[in-house]
Amino acid sequence: MKKIIALLLALVMVFALAACGEKAPAEETPAEETPAEAPAEETPAEETPAEEAPAAEGWAPDGPVTMIVAYKAGSGTDTTARILTKFAEKYVGQTIVVENVDGGSGSIGWTQLADADPDGMTLGFMNLPNFSSSIVKELGDYTTADFAPICNHVTETSLVIVRADDDRFNTLEDLVAYGKEHDGELIASTNGPQKSNHIGAKAFANSAGFKFIDLPQGGTADELTSLRGKEADFCVAKVADIAGSESEYKILGAFSEERLAAYPDVPTLGELGYYDKWLGSSRCIVAPAGVPEEVLAFYEAAFKATMEDPEYLEAAANFATNFVGAEGTAKMIEEQQVFAESLNEDFWA
Amino acid sequence: MEFAETLQLMGAGFLNALTPLNLLMMIGGTAMGIIIGCLPGLSAAMGVALTLPLTFTMEPETGLIVLGAIYCGAIFGGSISAILIHTPGTPASAATAIEGYQMTLKGQAGRALATACYSSFWGGLLSCISLYFFAPALAQLALKFMSAEKFWLSIFGLTIIAGVSSKSMVKGLISGALGLLISCIGLDPITGAKRFMFGQSYFAEGVNTTCALIGLFSMSQVFILAEKAIVKRARAAKFSDKIWLNKEDRKLIRPTILRSWIIGNIIGILPGAGASIACFMGYNTSKQFSKHKEDFSHGSIEGVAGSEAANNAVTGGSLIPMLTLGIPGESVTAVLMGGLVIQGLAPGPALFTEHAGMTYTFFAGFVLVQFFMLAIGLLGCRGFAQISRLSDAILIPAVTVLCFVGSYAIHKNMMDIVVMLIFGVIGYLMRKMDLNTAAVVLALILGPIGEKGLRNALRSSGGSIGVLFKSPVSWVLIILSVISIFAPILMAKMEKKSQDNANKGDPVEA
Repeated sequence: MKKIIALLLALVMVFALAACGEKAPAEETPAEETPAEAPAEETPAEETPAEEAPAAEGWAPDGPVTMIVAYKAGSGTDTTARILTKFAEKYVGQTIVVENVDGGSGSIGWTQLADADPDGMTLGFMNLPNFSSSIVKELGDYTTADFAPICNHVTETSLVIVRADDDRFNTLEDLVAYGKEHDGELIASTNGPQKSNHIGAKAFANSAGFKFIDLPQGGTADELTSLRGKEADFCVAKVADIAGSESEYKILGAFSEERLAAYPDVPTLGELGYYDKWLGSSRCIVAPAGVPEEVLAFYEAAFKATMEDPEYLEAAANFATNFVGAEGTAKMIEEQQVFAESLNEDFWA
Repeated sequence: MEFAETLQLMGAGFLNALTPLNLLMMIGGTAMGIIIGCLPGLSAAMGVALTLPLTFTMEPETGLIVLGAIYCGAIFGGSISAILIHTPGTPASAATAIEGYQMTLKGQAGRALATACYSSFWGGLLSCISLYFFAPALAQLALKFMSAEKFWLSIFGLTIIAGVSSKSMVKGLISGALGLLISCIGLDPITGAKRFMFGQSYFAEGVNTTCALIGLFSMSQVFILAEKAIVKRARAAKFSDKIWLNKEDRKLIRPTILRSWIIGNIIGILPGAGASIACFMGYNTSKQFSKHKEDFSHGSIEGVAGSEAANNAVTGGSLIPMLTLGIPGESVTAVLMGGLVIQGLAPGPALFTEHAGMTYTFFAGFVLVQFFMLAIGLLGCRGFAQISRLSDAILIPAVTVLCFVGSYAIHKNMMDIVVMLIFGVIGYLMRKMDLNTAAVVLALILGPIGEKGLRNALRSSGGSIGVLFKSPVSWVLIILSVISIFAPILMAKMEKKSQDNANKGDPVEA
């Protein structure tokens, strides 16, 4: 009798927990406590998916769509992904569930995405250039050919920044002149070895002709703390990373081919004769390779409509939404791959 | 003058926080936080991150109050499973399991839970004091913590191994070294080279601390329970049903709570450190200052209080650099900061001037949440404590399921379960050999901080070790480390001496 009770209890726990496990990421648990406010906005939209989704002639998802994010819940990619998917449900006509599959510097999530059924029910975010580096570093056994691009979502341009109260550097030239005079003495904090901001700092210093000491930190937040704590002299960070605390930094230059609209007074590195290509990070939406064309076209149109939705644009005011169609995105992924593979020993030396 | 104005804003904050909606959110958030916290694998950071998108549509202060409630609730909730089934719900309660579970074995689960609840309440409430009055001043501390200081912090943290290894110092050190060795797995933090990854990209970010923790503490516990004959635990006579502390108990843990508050608060402010380190430091300090050292390792209420007050004191502390400087000290506050930015509120001085109304409403909510945590905790624990009466026949399968589901829930990756099982076996063998599993966890948390700190400090100085001894903060940590290493030895000697003296003076009773 006791054994039966024990068994029953164990079974009940398994089910209860399994239910909890699925619920949590699906954003259902907390919803119980959210009074009418949150869901109210979405209800009218769900009734009219057919009219809103222009490419839904042939194909449309017949159940919840999974969106794999290869980083932790609460990370930059996760936050922007959740805002996008919230508004995209209107155009996709189904619930979109963000699933955080983090670990292995992103490679765990991308492996899972590459292996997913190409039925259009699983999509994911591909973060450039970290995705390209993960292939170079052989962290996963996928290649760019294992993914079918749908569109680009967010593009963040890299900037060269110093502390606002650092009197030594007022322009990028000041920094370069100091770097050349004290070759190998300037210190730059980075967001990790060979990660995006390390690549940026190297690309800048190599083109300007000086060497520096890199201090790899655990992530961009620690990287910026290291700069503000006066351990580092300069660093490279993306526009969104310093959003809200711009007053703490002087922005000396942008890794862009043209001046950024948000910072018209900040010169591009190319203008001053240094690294003249764009550098930064992009978050693209991709599907596993083998997904039919009509499915890709459906999502491309749905996400395009989402990114033009005024309600979405209001919620996404704090980050750089940059819709690029499937073709352009494919080109970006290839370019970043070529770039990542070109970073040889000479680059890092 | 200005101070009066600030006080007025603080008062107004309380009035604003007391709307029915806010109160409802506090109760809901705290309750959900406690549940998230006590389930292994679901951490405070995960709970906050998953709730974050729902707060976008709320008023900023209401959204922040919900997130703050989940944060506090989860940090406390971890202690429930730590005490009852030796399964810390979050790494922040790892030290609580040491004494708390011993108390459960002695039939004092109710007393242990009440201690955890009461200490968490005071730790959280006291941490609000510094949040209210010293935030801008204390925030500067975060910018004094660079590579060299992080290195010394990890060294100071590692000296706690001396405190947690009560039986044999050598075995404690062996366990710590094992933990440090395991912390080397993963991509090299400086060069990015692959270390001990066995060709598995899964290990790129190192061994997951939560998986290791579940294996070392909980799975190994299952193995140990399973090897013995099933015992029925219902010793109703010994079980104190009262989930409250008597006057003596409260008096006993009062100094411990005060010490842990200061420790937790400072640890919270420092970037890179967090509740999981604070709980060990709080525990260790409670032991060093305790007048009842003989109780430790056999279920000491001071040990539980030391750990739980410290980890909840982290909550208020960690908000300080996040709100004033935009520096998130740990993963939870990083998520909270994301929430602030999305709401269009930039961290910084403007939060205390331009948006002071919102900020002080949030603070008031944070204070009120502590009271809800106490109430919900004490009410809920009455039910939870019954778990300690269950027979092992029920506990063994139930905890096993929790271990599996908990480690799978972190990333939804089967590899996490494999790692958890490996650590379960390691933990079982270690406990058979009287090695210390808590020391492994401690080293696993501190190893990467120390390694990165030391190597980066030396890189910035071009290899000269002078950089490690430059700042006053470094020296404070060095002195603390020395004290921490030698204090137990000295105290033991002094105690022996005074005992000898006492024996000499009164030979009859000896």
